[in-house]
Amino acid sequence: MEKEIFEQGLNHNRRKFLSRLSLGIGSVALGSLLIPDLFSGKQEAEDGLMRALPHFAPKAKRIIYLFQNGAPSQLETFDYKPLLTKNFGQELPDSIRAGQRLTGMTAGQSSFPLVGSYFGFNQYGESRAWISSLFPHISSVVDDLLIVKSMHTEAINHDPALTFFQTGAQVGNRPSMGSWLSYGLGSENANLPAFCVLLSRGKGNGQGVYSKLWSNGFLDATHQGVQFSNSEDPVLYLKDPEGMSRSQRRKMIDQIAALNEMNYKEFNDPQITAKVQQYEMAYRMQTAVPEITDTSKEPDSVIKLYGPDCLVPGTYAANCLLARKLSENGVRFVQLYHQGWDAHDNLPNQMIGQAKDVDQATAGLITDLKQRGLLDETLIIWGGEFGRTNYCQGKIQPENYGRDHHPRAFSIFMAGGGVKSGMVYGETDDFGYNITENPVHVHDFQATVMHLMGIDHEKLTYKHLGRRYRLTDVHGKVVKDLIA
Amino acid sequence: MPKVSRITSILENFLFFWLGLALVLSLAGDRLEIPAFLQVLGRTHPLLLHFPIVLLLMAVGLLWVSDERLKNAGAQILLFGANLTGITVVAGLILANEAYEGDALVWHQWLGFGSLFLSVLIYFFRAKSTVFLRASSAALAMSIILTGHFGANLTHGDDFLLAPIRSNEVELVALEDAEVFEHLVQPILESKCIACHKEGKIKGELRMDQLAGLQKGGKNGPFVIPGDMKKSLLIQRINLPTDEKEHMPPKNKAQLTDEEIEILELWVAAGASFDQKVTDLKSEEPLFQLASNRFSNQKVYAFDPASETDIQDLNNFFRKINPVFPGSPALEVAYYGISTFDPSSLKELKKVSEQVIKINLNRMPLVEVDLGLLGDFPNLEELQLNTTGVSPNQLSSLEKLRNLRNLALSGNQFNSEAVASLGKLKQVKRLFLWNSGLSESERDELKKALPNTKIDFGFDGKGVIYALNPPKIEFDQVLFQDSMELVISHPIPAAEIRYTLDGSEPDSLQSPIYSSPIWVEKTSQVRTRAFALDWKGSTTASALVFKEGLKPKSYKLAFEPNTRYSAKGATSLFDGTKGKTNHTSGEWLGFTDTPLEIEIFLEAESKPKTIDLSFLFNESAYIFPPETVEIWTGNQSGWQKLPETSTLTSTKLEEVRFGVLSYSLPETDFEQLKIRLKPISKLPSWHPGAGAKGWVFVDEIILN
Repeated sequence: MEKEIFEQGLNHNRRKFLSRLSLGIGSVALGSLLIPDLFSGKQEAEDGLMRALPHFAPKAKRIIYLFQNGAPSQLETFDYKPLLTKNFGQELPDSIRAGQRLTGMTAGQSSFPLVGSYFGFNQYGESRAWISSLFPHISSVVDDLLIVKSMHTEAINHDPALTFFQTGAQVGNRPSMGSWLSYGLGSENANLPAFCVLLSRGKGNGQGVYSKLWSNGFLDATHQGVQFSNSEDPVLYLKDPEGMSRSQRRKMIDQIAALNEMNYKEFNDPQITAKVQQYEMAYRMQTAVPEITDTSKEPDSVIKLYGPDCLVPGTYAANCLLARKLSENGVRFVQLYHQGWDAHDNLPNQMIGQAKDVDQATAGLITDLKQRGLLDETLIIWGGEFGRTNYCQGKIQPENYGRDHHPRAFSIFMAGGGVKSGMVYGETDDFGYNITENPVHVHDFQATVMHLMGIDHEKLTYKHLGRRYRLTDVHGKVVKDLIA
Repeated sequence: MPKVSRITSILENFLFFWLGLALVLSLAGDRLEIPAFLQVLGRTHPLLLHFPIVLLLMAVGLLWVSDERLKNAGAQILLFGANLTGITVVAGLILANEAYEGDALVWHQWLGFGSLFLSVLIYFFRAKSTVFLRASSAALAMSIILTGHFGANLTHGDDFLLAPIRSNEVELVALEDAEVFEHLVQPILESKCIACHKEGKIKGELRMDQLAGLQKGGKNGPFVIPGDMKKSLLIQRINLPTDEKEHMPPKNKAQLTDEEIEILELWVAAGASFDQKVTDLKSEEPLFQLASNRFSNQKVYAFDPASETDIQDLNNFFRKINPVFPGSPALEVAYYGISTFDPSSLKELKKVSEQVIKINLNRMPLVEVDLGLLGDFPNLEELQLNTTGVSPNQLSSLEKLRNLRNLALSGNQFNSEAVASLGKLKQVKRLFLWNSGLSESERDELKKALPNTKIDFGFDGKGVIYALNPPKIEFDQVLFQDSMELVISHPIPAAEIRYTLDGSEPDSLQSPIYSSPIWVEKTSQVRTRAFALDWKGSTTASALVFKEGLKPKSYKLAFEPNTRYSAKGATSLFDGTKGKTNHTSGEWLGFTDTPLEIEIFLEAESKPKTIDLSFLFNESAYIFPPETVEIWTGNQSGWQKLPETSTLTSTKLEEVRFGVLSYSLPETDFEQLKIRLKPISKLPSWHPGAGAKGWVFVDEIILN
């Protein structure tokens, strides 16, 4: 309440009145001719926004980000390194490690024996990209994919790395990528949030996801990610209580609005009108959300496409299906997290389970958007927060081993939304440890994603505590090679 | 006023000094070695130049009037102004040595010098005649303005002044519309060649202002030989040294830039076609890359933008209308909200019908809606009608949309009539027809009718057999008192659910089919699988439910559980509260260093027949079945050990789960029971923590 009173004070005070008046009627009149927005109250932030927006039609209109939380190993998925299998158990050469810091989990290890993938690799599609046997469905859509094998990041532990990927900074309190896009581009569908978050959990070793990852940071709270519940009711408390009809609800909202209107006339507090609008949006969501979350009308072929788990709320497959439905209904940014990729030990076993969770549904989502003619305008991103080491953590056996965190090189893939398809970008050395060509830093990745959405990442800023912030901080360059 | 006149005479003297210096610098400027400090002076030119402009123009104004006093003031100002002009000209000449060149510089330099000369001339001969004064001062004013103009062009670019007016006239061409000859080659010919090769001035008998002339060639031979750069006269001539007589354009005319030469060469090399489109070139060809830099990536529209208020008025919660990007005249429209959709709202878009290039009507109920409404959008390029229920007879209206490129019709039921209508849409480049009910032959027919259209029929799932996911078992609590309802469900309604209650594996033939909730009256292990046509049977889902047991009189643990997993102590074993799958949930008693050993004193006459021990198993967390299970019955005559107390053995890492070990108790009389569960002392070799101690977790002991 204090804040409201304070803002109210800012809106109406003598100084402001006099300073407006002192401009002089003539100059104001001239100014208003030259600057039509002079009196519409557009603030600096909004002007900054306009500068950052595209002067060309953006390639992607929406994003579905399939975050693989816990960091899937690149060496068992997309980065095929036969040398590691050949040199099984041999020590990682110091010349390759080159002083790379270690996590507390393997820093105490007396040796760093190389270990190759338990899973075989094959080449697929016209791009002849190498993909492991863990992903039979994903390999069937390989020609729609842009695999980036040369991602690198700065953090070596989950929370900072995740936060870095999502907000551009390792510490919290910055707006998430989805919030920035919501701020920059707004909502396509006024009846739904612009930024939705869906969580699922595999059986592998999990790492937490926290709401700070979809935080609006210093941006307006409307840009916060809205977390959907992974129960049968993705948005809670939407249903009218039993016995209450739609018209009664309407009447109630109208009456409240009338009371609020009286209040507004008295206090002139803009928060009151904001509240009225929120009630209205909630009312519209009561019909908009069930239309979207109802999966009962999906045809059999869709269930086969995503796998039957897509009908079980809370699974990754169900979230992929829901993501498609939200996205086609105009949700700008759908953020999925699938936990359980942190395989420090028992990696082959854990990865089988995790891959089974995501393989079919991910490929299904791509195919589904494609067959509806929506893939071109929807950018899909799949990947974790860093990679995993080429040496074994813990006891080493060809069929049972673990891998620690590795920030220097890892793989992600993208599809649709204006990225090149059927391409593998970047390369790592034979040990899969260092990048040898075309490195893509997390900030470069973020800059590229913003660019695809038609935003200049250097211009989309927000002034907070005396400085202008942006998603890519003071770094990042658009990787033009990735753009179709 | 002798003092004034002295200053005046000094200033008058200076005028000649500036004139002389300026003349020397103009003529010999480029041979001068400019020291650094003079460069600084030179760079004050952009600052200084404002003073003479103001002073001289002011003086011109005053000299023009007939009032003598004003005229005198004008003369004084002119003297000051002319001196400042002198300094400015000198500074400018020094600055010119830095990096400026071109026509604008020459004009600027000599006009500047002219202004200086004129102002000096006027100052000394102002009394000659009014006519001279007026004519020369008008010339001076003109000269100053022109000097300023060319100076501005030098710093801001040649077309700086008129650019805002001109830019509207320049025709932007979209890359996809651009033609190699018309938009790349011809503009070069027009600006650099046509002046001498056109009707009325056909030099070398070559006319370049019409196609026929180019094709015919000139007196020395054909204009170009397609594909042959060396033999083509055009390329030969433009590449001759500038001094040669045959070099084109002639030495004194505007020359081709390097890029223009490259374009002409590439055009000839690529076959000198007169009607090739830029987009038909391969993207790696250099000509394409040159062209793609020149043309806008965006399609350029002939129509004007719609009024912003119209657009705003048409926007509401269920219909979003936006420019395709800020500032574009083209609009896209999207509809949201199935329940609020009103087809007549399409008519409201009439005001912006010319500008709309994309409409998204996905999921809106369009059954029986007259799609003729869409014919009002002449520039529509993309139309999304997925799962709208449109029927074949509605499709004929789409033929009118001549600019339609993308058409999404997935999820609507079509037939051969639809194929006939769609087959006429030759303008469509991409067509989406997933889940549209078209037969194989209908699809082939459509493909044949639309050879240049990419048609996506999507994934129909036919012949693909996957395993179903297991059914879901729901019940209120694991421990029940008399009986309990079990509900089994599967998300696919057509799936058949089979189940068993005796722990055996359900199959698709013998096991009972689940149709309504099951009531269980005893401790049971329910196992269930789902089966359906076109699917493989699911894996088994299972659940253990316990009938709550007898309450013992008292009990006593020999060793306390591990302090981290002590729950509420021994009470937890008989409280009828089943633990969750998380061993830290507070219902589980965990043992590792000591066995779970408990003595139970029974109520008289309770005579339990069975004992069920309820476990948690989670190998990854080192939680195993006990290594040994020992059970004794006791009465006054002492303890009697049960002979057969087998246990389970883990053989691999499995997911966290519940387990139960059940034992029958002897018929003999007993008042006490003693149970001893020994945690596994060495984890097996397959385990990552092989050799370490294991754990035993128990939440309930059930006597019945």
